[in-house]
Amino acid sequence: MIRNSPDTGPLLEMENVSVNFPVKGPYPFSKKRWIQAVTNVSLQVSEGETFGIVGESGCGKTTLANAMIGMVRPTAGTVRFQGVDLYSLKPQVFREARREMQMIFQDPFSSLNPRFSVYEIIREPLYIRGQASETAMKAKVLELLKLVGLDEDDMYRYPSDFSGGQRQRIGIARAIILNPRFLVCDEPVSALDVSVHAQILNLLMDIQKSRHLTYVFVSHNLAVVKNICQNMVVMYLGTIMESGSSDAIFANPLHPYTKALLSAVLDIDVTKPRDRILLKGDTPSPIDPPPGCRFWQRCPSAMKGCATIPAKLAEVEPGHPVACHLISGFSPQQVADGLHEPVSPKSGG
Amino acid sequence: MADTVLEVRNLKVAFPCSGGVIRAVEGIDLDIHRGECAALVGESGCGKSVSALAIMKLLNTPPAVCRADKLQLDDLDLTHLPDRQMERIRGKHMAMIFQDAMTALNPVMTVGKQIDEIYLRHSRLSRREARQRTIKALELVGVPEARSRANSYPHQLSGGMRQRVLIALAFACVPKLIIADEPTTALDVTIQAQVLDVLKNMQQVHGVSALLIAHDLSVVANMADTVYVMYSGKIVERAAMQELFVEPLHPYTHGLLASVPRISDDRQPFVQIPDAVPHPMRKPTGCYFHPRCPRSSDQCQQRMPRLESLDHEREVRCWHPLRQPHEVRS
Ligand SMILES: Nc1ncnc2c1ncn2[C@@H]1O[C@H](COP(=O)(O)OP(=O)(O)OP(=O)(O)O)[C@@H](O)[C@H]1O
Ligand SMILES: Nc1ncnc2c1ncn2[C@@H]1O[C@H](COP(=O)(O)OP(=O)(O)OP(=O)(O)O)[C@@H](O)[C@H]1O
Ligand code: SF4
Ligand code: SF4
Ligand SMILES: [Mg+2]
Ligand SMILES: [Mg+2]
Repeated sequence: MIRNSPDTGPLLEMENVSVNFPVKGPYPFSKKRWIQAVTNVSLQVSEGETFGIVGESGCGKTTLANAMIGMVRPTAGTVRFQGVDLYSLKPQVFREARREMQMIFQDPFSSLNPRFSVYEIIREPLYIRGQASETAMKAKVLELLKLVGLDEDDMYRYPSDFSGGQRQRIGIARAIILNPRFLVCDEPVSALDVSVHAQILNLLMDIQKSRHLTYVFVSHNLAVVKNICQNMVVMYLGTIMESGSSDAIFANPLHPYTKALLSAVLDIDVTKPRDRILLKGDTPSPIDPPPGCRFWQRCPSAMKGCATIPAKLAEVEPGHPVACHLISGFSPQQVADGLHEPVSPKSGG
Repeated sequence: MADTVLEVRNLKVAFPCSGGVIRAVEGIDLDIHRGECAALVGESGCGKSVSALAIMKLLNTPPAVCRADKLQLDDLDLTHLPDRQMERIRGKHMAMIFQDAMTALNPVMTVGKQIDEIYLRHSRLSRREARQRTIKALELVGVPEARSRANSYPHQLSGGMRQRVLIALAFACVPKLIIADEPTTALDVTIQAQVLDVLKNMQQVHGVSALLIAHDLSVVANMADTVYVMYSGKIVERAAMQELFVEPLHPYTHGLLASVPRISDDRQPFVQIPDAVPHPMRKPTGCYFHPRCPRSSDQCQQRMPRLESLDHEREVRCWHPLRQPHEVRS
């Protein structure tokens, strides 16, 4: 029933999604505090595309990805998959919808149960659904093993017999066994040996093509995102700083954080000298973040009003919204109050 | 050579274990000049950390079995130096920066106190003077509000700050050599950029030689003067950084460089190297890279090539390098 939704809208849509986690206080009656892991995120993922989520550790990428596929219930906002509000579904239908959405995890060492054989690991989703016969499952697992570049002999071996790259192949086979339409790849290569990154990325791209999958690709590697994603968001401390087509963002990064992130990426092109923007200080804590722009403590262009006035996403060019007061400007009253005056970036944090 | 700070000849490390022997390091040579930053790159398990620990004589023997024909630090011959004397050398002449600052720092002592100790141990300073030096050192590595941060315990600092503290600690005694083992691997890109900047700066300001260990070629491209590429326990290529990146000669180096996605171009599919690094107990015959190498021949499958020098300035271990060597080093 879910599959018959109108094909016009985006496959996945998030509207003003926030996810907060409670923080345990030092004593039982201390004021309740929240980790604002994801704040007010809206985005749309279209059928067949690869959508990138980039940002540094702790900025909320995994939490956002989990909210997309029904693993973490948002504190606020809606997630629509094929036009249907995921978190309003009855449990039975919800489970059905969840099968369409799968995830590939960053760490192939901890994400595979060491006591299960490769066969048991890959068939597990099918086994849980409980509709296929043993022979059918075996045939399916075999087909997938070949697809991901493993042998029939590997079927009854255990995860410890495999290298990181091979384990990730096993994880991929398991993720696609229920023929999902939507696959979240959460840093699928960052735990692997560098010489196998390209293999796994190419495999993922091949599978996407042959099975018409839609990908959300979480990464801190901007070069990979640039090469494989059509659209992307740049996140910082739980909020979207800039979004749009990756062509637009890489050709014309507008947010000070995006610029800093791009310039911090070390490249192996030793022939080209580059200017670096070195940010001051550390990423601040996501617990009770400041009310204004979340980047203001480290922003080289910060203005007086940035600390207190939230920067709303505003489109500079069509389909390329940026959340920064440099772009959206202050109101005449705020300018009169001097809120547009620069402050020297503060160190520390 | 007069200006060589670290000279390592034929360093070998093995770990005997139940199923056989893991030959983690199979006879490597290193020469690091004064003020130079040499990088040791290679994938997980190729023997980088074990090499570093063996040079510092920090490996537990047993289980490890270490041997070197020569281990010379500036004018000090460490080849046969007993452990007791190594301890003094380590605090004073060689220092190490680890990937995981949490395990390298004492969790129950403030970071300031840990740096004070180094100054107190190596110079005649009062506690007050030592603390002054510590605060200066913390400022130098970019720790904000150094005076108060000095009173923090390691767990109260962020990963980036802890790594800065480790750098301050390592440089405190102005050693002859710093070994930095994946100093920024655990950090975010913007923090990594800061910390590498600090490391490079400190190295240049103090004229200290460095051995940087990394698996990330882009880190190496931004830090090193000379690069040693390791594969399965052996050095397969050595060259000046620029030359290595512009014209890699070993098929492994070439493949690695080609497979790194770059911001500056769109190449899809990505260039890939087949298969994976061999298991340390099941290394293939001949050249260890042959099952993955596009240039492999019968000769490659049977005999391990020697590390041969090319243009005096670089070396490559390959029967069919991307360019032929002109002379053979014995
Ligand atoms: N279940 C949870 N309970 C409490 N806090 C959480 C939980 N999951 C995540 N967080 C916090 O939410 C924030 C965002 O975490 P998240 O894992 O989404 O970040 P990320 O961008 O995926 O980071 P990384 O790149 O390190 O994987 C972090 O501060 C994290 O500590
Ligand atoms: N204590 C030990 N006992 C047995 N084998 C060991 C021991 N320490 C290291 N090894 C082996 O020695 C080899 C080299 O390990 P090493 O830690 O030097 O790799 P590395 O290049 O530093 O890798 P990484 O990038 O993962 O840090 C590996 O195969 C490892 O399994
Ligand atoms: S809103 Fe202000 S602090 Fe935030 S990115 Fe823009 S200029 Fe910087
Ligand atoms: S010796 Fe042969 S197999 Fe080894 S790297 Fe060279 S060409 Fe490849
Ligand atoms: Mg994550
Ligand atoms: Mg190591």
